[in-house]
Amino acid sequence: MEFPDDLRYTKEHEWARRENGRVRVGITDYAQDALGDVVYVDLPEVGARVRANEPLGEVESTKSVSDVYSPITGTILERNAALEDRPELVNAQPYGDGWLVVIQPDDPSELDGLLDAGGYRAFVEAGGQEG
Amino acid sequence: MEPILRRTPLEDEHVALGAKLGPFAGWSMPIEYAGVLAEHRAVRERVGLFDLTHLGKVEVVGPGALELLQGVVTNDVARIDVGQAQYNLVLNEGGGVIEDLIVYRLGPERFFVVPNAANAERVLQILAEAPAERLVHLMYHQDWCFLAVQGPRSTAIVVEVFPEAAGLAFMRCAESEFRRRPVIVTRSGYTGEVGFELFTYQDVAVELWRTLLEAVRASDGDPCGLAARDILRLEMGYPLYGQDLFESSTALEAGLGWAVDLDKGEFRGRAALLRQLEEGLPSRLRGLRMHERRHIPRAHYPVFLGDQLIGEVTSGTFSPLLHTGIALAYLWPADVVDVGDEVEVDIRGRRGKATVVRTPFVDRSPR
Repeated sequence: MEFPDDLRYTKEHEWARRENGRVRVGITDYAQDALGDVVYVDLPEVGARVRANEPLGEVESTKSVSDVYSPITGTILERNAALEDRPELVNAQPYGDGWLVVIQPDDPSELDGLLDAGGYRAFVEAGGQEG
Repeated sequence: MEPILRRTPLEDEHVALGAKLGPFAGWSMPIEYAGVLAEHRAVRERVGLFDLTHLGKVEVVGPGALELLQGVVTNDVARIDVGQAQYNLVLNEGGGVIEDLIVYRLGPERFFVVPNAANAERVLQILAEAPAERLVHLMYHQDWCFLAVQGPRSTAIVVEVFPEAAGLAFMRCAESEFRRRPVIVTRSGYTGEVGFELFTYQDVAVELWRTLLEAVRASDGDPCGLAARDILRLEMGYPLYGQDLFESSTALEAGLGWAVDLDKGEFRGRAALLRQLEEGLPSRLRGLRMHERRHIPRAHYPVFLGDQLIGEVTSGTFSPLLHTGIALAYLWPADVVDVGDEVEVDIRGRRGKATVVRTPFVDRSPR
């Protein structure tokens, strides 16, 4: 299982990457493995407002549907249109071509409150669940 | 406290293959290996190997065996010859479905019954308590395993190991052996593809699994888990016990009247089914095909006709073959809609349009 060092992580198993003041968001390798084969991804429209720790969309696998929580408050700048035809990219490249959205954050420093790679790895190894 | 799960003799094989094991009906079973979609595709296009050891295996033997079964199951077991298999139901007095199972006739007075994992003990008890004038011997084969080879390339693989399988027609069975152990070989399955099911002693399970897996791999096939099997069966519209079949709905409501012979004589639940035929069915299990890919129905989602609540989904999934959501749902009353009508499924607060369709959802056949 991969935990790239340049990312921040939520306890809901999303990742966030800083890119020139913007934030790219996806679900983690652990999350895609737990979900199984993804068959549909529901993402917000460009321009939509999203809030930290609130659902921004859904990822649906052959077995179940899961909310995707926004790691940060801001405005949707991009959504990954490739996932409409190829939702399996979320499984194949969760940190690459399987990204979900790019967000213009209201306050980029909000990311500092998230887990770093070491913290997230420890969280996953402890079971990956709060409480 | 974690429940203690029963283990298949093939658990080490599954773990070595990278399977995800999970609880199913009191057993720890392989849910998936390489991935559900890849496994589904292997079975539809090539071949897949399943460990189904959790299913029950009961032999009913003796001069009273036929009479005993006739009073318990819904179909006319007297109609099947030695070497044939038949789909059957066990009902409660109200006609509700306690169990669906296949009965294999291995000899004039020798039958083999395969109940669902969760029901094996209950079926055994029903058989043990059923009245029989003549001697019947019940054998609960807890020391047996159950493997299935399913898919268009399965015949060559199985015939290579079990020559008796050559020429076996759908729902026929034969007896063979493997490493001097008896094996029951059947042309049957739960996937909608040509396939075989194999029953034998657990002490040869690992060797049989490895032999079959090597042949399956050589045919570009894969080991497959219960998650892929669930999608395969749902694409065929096969109801699943505990999910689509339960005691509060009758065999007729479940659309399984074809597995019930009301003329064969008395059996449990018969009177209630006759009454229901007279009074009309309160509900009917139907196939629903969603219009949009993004609408994937799941168990317990409500079904609407306009503002009217008319039903509930009992099984739903994304069909990899159709690229759309499919579901089995009880709709009430039974004649509220016809095939071809449009209904809506409430998907977590959003309405998704669906058409009532005949099953199977996909154009496949196990014959």
